[in-house]
Amino acid sequence: MNDAPPDEMVDGRGHVRPHWRGILAAFSDLPPSLTAEAAPRGSAVAEAARRLDRAFEDEGVGALLPGAGRTARAWRCDPVPLVLPAGEFAALAAGLAQRARLLEAMLRDFYGEQRLLAEGLVPPSLVFANPNFLRPCRSAAHPPRHPLLHTYAADLIRGPDGQWRVLADRTSRAAGIGHAQENRRMLGRVLPNLFRGQQVQPLRPFFDFWQDSLQRLAPPKAQNGSDNAAVALLTPGVHHPLWFEHVLLASELSCALVEPGDLTVRGGALFLKTLKGLQPVDVLLRRVDGRSLDPLEFGGPGAGHGPGVPGLLDAMRNGAVRIVNAPGCGLVEAPALAPLLPALAQRLLGQKLALPAIESHWLARPEALAMLRRAPGDWTLRPAFDGAVAAQELGALSDAALAGLLARIAERPQDYVASRHIAPSVAPSAVGDGLAPRPVILRLFLVQEGGQWRAMPGGLARSPEPGEGLGGRLPRQGLAKDVWVLSEDGAQITGPAALPLPPLPIRRAAGALPSRVADNLFWLGRYVERLEGAARLMRAVLARIDRGPLLPRELAELAALAAALRHAGLAEAEDVPNAAAHSALQAALWRALREGGSVAWLMAEIGRLVEGVRDRLTGDMHTLFSLPLRAIQVQAAAPQRGLAGLEELLGGILRYSAGVAGAAAENMVRAGGYAFLDLGRRVERGQTIAAQLGFALAQPASRIEGGLRLALELCDSVITYRSRYLGVLQPAPALDLVLADPGNPRGLGYQLAALRRRLTDLEGGTEEGLLPAVEALIARVEAIPPALLAVADQAQAAARMAPDIAALEAEMAAISDAIARRFFALLPPAQTLGGETAAAEPAVLFWGAA
Amino acid sequence: MRWRIRHATAYRYAEPVDIATHMLHLSPRALPQQQVLWDSVACAPEPARVATGIDHFGNRVTWLFLDRAHARFEVVAEAEVEVAFPPPPPLDTSPAWEEVARAALRDPGAAEFTLPSPLLPEHGGARDYALQSFWPGRPLLAGVLDLNARIRRDFTFRAGVTSIATTVGQLLAQRAGVCQDFSHLMICGLRGLGLPARYVSGYIRTRPPPGAVARLGADQSHAWVGAWLGPGQGWVDLDPTNNLVVQDEHVVIGWGRDFNDISPLRGIILGGGQHALDVSVDLSPA
Repeated sequence: MNDAPPDEMVDGRGHVRPHWRGILAAFSDLPPSLTAEAAPRGSAVAEAARRLDRAFEDEGVGALLPGAGRTARAWRCDPVPLVLPAGEFAALAAGLAQRARLLEAMLRDFYGEQRLLAEGLVPPSLVFANPNFLRPCRSAAHPPRHPLLHTYAADLIRGPDGQWRVLADRTSRAAGIGHAQENRRMLGRVLPNLFRGQQVQPLRPFFDFWQDSLQRLAPPKAQNGSDNAAVALLTPGVHHPLWFEHVLLASELSCALVEPGDLTVRGGALFLKTLKGLQPVDVLLRRVDGRSLDPLEFGGPGAGHGPGVPGLLDAMRNGAVRIVNAPGCGLVEAPALAPLLPALAQRLLGQKLALPAIESHWLARPEALAMLRRAPGDWTLRPAFDGAVAAQELGALSDAALAGLLARIAERPQDYVASRHIAPSVAPSAVGDGLAPRPVILRLFLVQEGGQWRAMPGGLARSPEPGEGLGGRLPRQGLAKDVWVLSEDGAQITGPAALPLPPLPIRRAAGALPSRVADNLFWLGRYVERLEGAARLMRAVLARIDRGPLLPRELAELAALAAALRHAGLAEAEDVPNAAAHSALQAALWRALREGGSVAWLMAEIGRLVEGVRDRLTGDMHTLFSLPLRAIQVQAAAPQRGLAGLEELLGGILRYSAGVAGAAAENMVRAGGYAFLDLGRRVERGQTIAAQLGFALAQPASRIEGGLRLALELCDSVITYRSRYLGVLQPAPALDLVLADPGNPRGLGYQLAALRRRLTDLEGGTEEGLLPAVEALIARVEAIPPALLAVADQAQAAARMAPDIAALEAEMAAISDAIARRFFALLPPAQTLGGETAAAEPAVLFWGAA
Repeated sequence: MRWRIRHATAYRYAEPVDIATHMLHLSPRALPQQQVLWDSVACAPEPARVATGIDHFGNRVTWLFLDRAHARFEVVAEAEVEVAFPPPPPLDTSPAWEEVARAALRDPGAAEFTLPSPLLPEHGGARDYALQSFWPGRPLLAGVLDLNARIRRDFTFRAGVTSIATTVGQLLAQRAGVCQDFSHLMICGLRGLGLPARYVSGYIRTRPPPGAVARLGADQSHAWVGAWLGPGQGWVDLDPTNNLVVQDEHVVIGWGRDFNDISPLRGIILGGGQHALDVSVDLSPA
């Protein structure tokens, strides 16, 4: 047997296989350079790769999280797809559909009667020792009512004999399906020429089919049977490495993206907590581990699987919600079960297994262990139960390491599976300026409807890194490839007729905005505004330092600004010994911007919140919200100093916040998330204005003019004032402009008016508590200019007013708290009862925050 | 023997609890040796939803869902049962313990209970302690009876010195604990030898008959050990706290791999702050 890995593109005689000719021709037709930059000849492939990289970077795929994610290498997509002819794909799809039916039948037995154990076909410990056998999902009295598997994925490689073989089964969550769709979308957008003249089967019909099948899963409703099913995708949240895929899938399948904290179970049914109360959820597409679904049943003292939704399993058993895949499906991912599949196919399906798997042996059998010892180099090693761990290549180990490992295996052989080592086939990849063969692993995805399995005509192909073990979970980064399935006759496979959905009633309100999303948007609004306020203040400081000797007036202004800096947490008292210490001030500003500084912290939080509301933003908006911020963060971290560098950074921050405000105002529907983004912004700006005016006006009456000038400058109102009142600076008109005038977007009055408008929209003006507080504040600031006009010495009165104006900051903060209480439903912490031992003192275990 | 059981649990919370979900193992399961004549679970305040079911081990489970604010939660489980556990089979019919261990691997009803469980990971100390009762070729039943007696002899019953977090290792060091700890030790030791052992939750008679010794662990839920006797021979229940073979002074609620699988009452509450717990159990002849 020839052991060289087969080549997907080239046959044994060195000829290009017919199904690769189209894509190769497309690459040779690409212009050598797609940009104005001069590129070396023959680098069309390299240029395509660069453009694709840039497009992915702009979308922030794979590098999403604050901190590590930002600098880590993201997933890359190879411009060269893996091409499969229709016939070959159809055979794989049929083989995998059979395998999915078999795995479903096994799961039904393991979570039901367990006849396979009684008949001796499956050693009992393969079920009972498997950590993915979830006992709360089995009843000794009732077999499962519904199919357990809804989606299924498998990793395949093609060995030297030319046969595709299953490397690993993915029955828990079928990760990567969103990635596959994204690769196709990007390739189509960035390199549309590649698709010209090719018969590539589209992916969209598969997602339509999936979406319909989710709708059909919904339990029949007792009341209002005409309602559409509410489908939600449950994600662990923004910190999860596959968060982006969850966002993408939710949008692709038109379902709500929810976290455990967004859900609650009442009366045996599942609900989403939204601004308009509890909304029922009928189908839950699970992207969290089954064990973290319900702390009541999986918790137990010290289990620590995550917050979950207490009572969710009861709602599932009750038939009020379908969870797919059903929790516990990960059981059949166990590599130790794979060797039994041929026999089980005969027993359960009465069929021969069509698609072979990599030869594997559970080492609990002595003859398997002996075989491994005879030629360890031929084998790879996997944990018996954890299909997410990649195989270890024994041939790559040193003699000493191998001996150590064999000794460990001998102690607990039942914990291991040996699989034959096979080098996967190679396919062309963009390497440097040309194409080079790289090994390839193929992940295909299937969805089930009424027992019929359907494969996505595409998939996620990957080139493993040198030395990477095969068959594990998707790595955090790597080189992915789109998978093209060619259609033979040009006829596209289309989905079944879409489920006829009843017409939707017209809605204009923020219906199902989850409270958590509203919360995130509110804080995003606050933090972007806080960032802008910080940049403005820092720029005002910057304009006054390093300009040679200052006038006494300027020194007084600088002192007020320094006080405002300290108040905003942008500088410590010891940083600013006196306002004349320019270099100390400058150093303090840099510190705030760098790692560990308060502005750097703000930017990281904004990045986190942007990801948290990603499903509420269009792709373009997300780019606008995240890309410039990342650039500023990189720039701030660079080892540069000096006023010019600061100047540039602060300018960048101001442009960023203006961009966010503009994009939000122009693109977001008013009644939805925008209301909360804007509430956050208004509250924050109001607080900042009040605080800064307090410092600006804290001057002796003789210097009040300087204070007013600074107040106008900080509120960006110098030009407006001059055009209204020419050069005469007096307290009443100046404070009217920055405090009371509802038409000045940089003044306090405007923020209060906007708050009133948003709250009226949200509450219909009926709610008590919030609106009256805002009205009272409006009355207070509107009374200030007339009060000043009524006294003889305006300067004296204005100076005396400084503390009152500063106190408005606390009033705004109180409104912010009231908004949080009213809309974001702060729940008390959850705790677990029942750690009490029999006949002993009770022990209480806290479960963490709800 | 016919028994009347009353098991009352009351939680008092310092602050109101807004939402609570509880999972109860408080209803005795029917067995060939235990007939359940009637039983009930009552709860105050009135729950929004009550669900019942059978778990993986065949035990009866009750779920209670409360969604109105409450400062006190009370649940009373009552039942009347008729128990008659037959005496264990004669010692000379019991197979050698090594043979039982080999057979257990293939037996779907027993294999699960040879494996480590969440509260009972493998422990060399427990294994070595148990091994002293199992010399090569000794009949299984003789070994488990000896182990049952040794635990009663070597350990002191003392409430309050252990908790759910107490490990078998800690118990071996401090030599004192309660029924749950002794059962965990015995189970862990037997499993270390490859022998199936399960954790049984239930009750033991509260007041001794005139002139007899009062039983330990009677004022709350009690726990003991089920040991597998071999293929076709079923299980025998042993109470290491009292060095008894379970016959007619015990009532079974259910069993699992360890306490976690069969804890009488577990709950997740939102709010509540500090809480106080009051449990009373009474098992009297009916």
